[in-house]
Amino acid sequence: MKDVQSSHLGREIRVAWAIAAKDMRTYYTQPPAIMFGILFPFALFLSFSIGRNLPLVTQIPILVSQTLFFASSSIGPVVIPIERADQTFDRFMTSPVSLLAILMGKTLGGIIYGTGISIIPVLVGMAFFGTQIVNIGAIIACFALSTLAFSALGIMFASIPGQTVGQVMMPLNFVRIPLLFISGVFTPIRELPTWMQAVTMLSPLTHTVELARYATGGETFFGPVLNIAILIAYAAAFLFMGIRFHIMNQRKE
Amino acid sequence: MGSAIEAINLTKYYDDLLAVDHINFQVEEGEIFGFLGPNGAGKTTTIRMLTGISIPTEGTATIIGCDIQRRSVSAKEQMGIVPDVSNIYKDLSAWDNLVFTGKLYDMPKAFRESRAEELLKMFGLYERRKEKVKGFSRGMKRRICIAMALMNRSRILFLDEPTSGLDVQSVLIIRDLIRKLNQQGLTIFITTHNIEEASQMCDRVAIINHGKIATVDTPEKLKRTMESLQSVEVAFEATPQNALKDLEELPQVSEAVKLGDKFRLFTRDPSSVLASTWNYAQNNNLKLITVNTIGPSLEDVFVKLTGIKPATAQEEPEKMGHGKAQKMTGRKDQQ
Repeated sequence: MKDVQSSHLGREIRVAWAIAAKDMRTYYTQPPAIMFGILFPFALFLSFSIGRNLPLVTQIPILVSQTLFFASSSIGPVVIPIERADQTFDRFMTSPVSLLAILMGKTLGGIIYGTGISIIPVLVGMAFFGTQIVNIGAIIACFALSTLAFSALGIMFASIPGQTVGQVMMPLNFVRIPLLFISGVFTPIRELPTWMQAVTMLSPLTHTVELARYATGGETFFGPVLNIAILIAYAAAFLFMGIRFHIMNQRKE
Repeated sequence: MGSAIEAINLTKYYDDLLAVDHINFQVEEGEIFGFLGPNGAGKTTTIRMLTGISIPTEGTATIIGCDIQRRSVSAKEQMGIVPDVSNIYKDLSAWDNLVFTGKLYDMPKAFRESRAEELLKMFGLYERRKEKVKGFSRGMKRRICIAMALMNRSRILFLDEPTSGLDVQSVLIIRDLIRKLNQQGLTIFITTHNIEEASQMCDRVAIINHGKIATVDTPEKLKRTMESLQSVEVAFEATPQNALKDLEELPQVSEAVKLGDKFRLFTRDPSSVLASTWNYAQNNNLKLITVNTIGPSLEDVFVKLTGIKPATAQEEPEKMGHGKAQKMTGRKDQQ
């Protein structure tokens, strides 16, 4: 019985990886993925950073957090509507694998994309601007949990039954942009009024920024344990809701 | 032999719209089963429920005895699906499309590669295996799509409009392939608009209309049940002006239709109509140049059972499969 379960689990993992690897080959260089996953966070970062006279070393965690947020959450909303329009998403639905494995494959695609893009500013900061990773565990937790939570957020929004990227990306941006402004990215959380600090705590991006700052020797307002706990909670909630929404879609199909 | 596919009270609502209405049917192992119906009748909705893409509102379906909802992985291992649109990855090569499908079925590397090679050779695409499929013709894409459905050596193949929109050569290749696969023991579930195709290929057909199964039987039995759709086809050397009206008034003729230079007289009693037509020709000094008695076609049965009206057929003559759609309409009910 145990062997059957482990072989079933192995199969689910192999299929999820195959889906992620195919998405990497097919969609990572698609214009919407580059636009919403790379250009968008860099443009936002530059528009809010230029002229603020902040040392670059303090801005690297902000850029890293933004790329983690936008890059990871963009892959699902780019890939799934295109696959729905081409009916290739049906190919997964008719293959002998669970919906969880399919969505984990899609989520993994976002995780790898977000990690790949976001590691660039870390390396650039370390090479040219004196950024130091003082807590390796914190940066690993920051990358792993943030990419998981944000990729799952993208998959959850991709359950909107649209067949164009815009149909999913527009409502997603209605959520992503406000989250960016309430996450202490541009204003230190310590300087916000108490009620605003409570609101800030609700945003998952807050905890990504906090962990990125903590890993590079900066301060964390809520503390790394709470940051990690909240990111885990969001990742679980987004994954659960994503699966529920996709099942609801199947009922409407 | 047991049932390969069984639909049990299968029902689908889209909000208040009842798309598929408590349908029941069985497909035996090794059969080619045709699923016919006009547009919007519920064919694609049914195939989507049978293959697990869509969850039924009520009822269920079994695939080789496995419930598609409760034992979906076991059920899906037994089937290959070719949807109405060739759902292939256009940015991948033919080879990569097949290999990726093998990965979805968790086939070991050596097995999926040998199977991909075998199928590409079988479909005449091995030489072009490294090319991205976006450069392929529609017929070649269709063949790749069918090859992907066969990767896992499935026991049942679902084909949704497999020859729709293809050139004659591709249609012939695909029909021949379907027959060969069936001879190898594969059960085939095929939806089509092309009634002649269904008549030639299928062991049994189901006709669905407004979400309900109108009938399930062999094509020949269906034709025989429609005695009223027998007809006599006649042509005169010179056609008088009122011939259509005169012929329609002959005893035992339920309807007369002009088809080019010929007239088709529908009747339950062809021999009486032959005699009265002969008398009509004699009385009017007409020379008969063609006289044929024709049994009902599957298309006649389809039109009768679905009650397609002229407007419907005229809107979609191409999708009906051939030009007969227009001329077979306007028949008064004879039963």
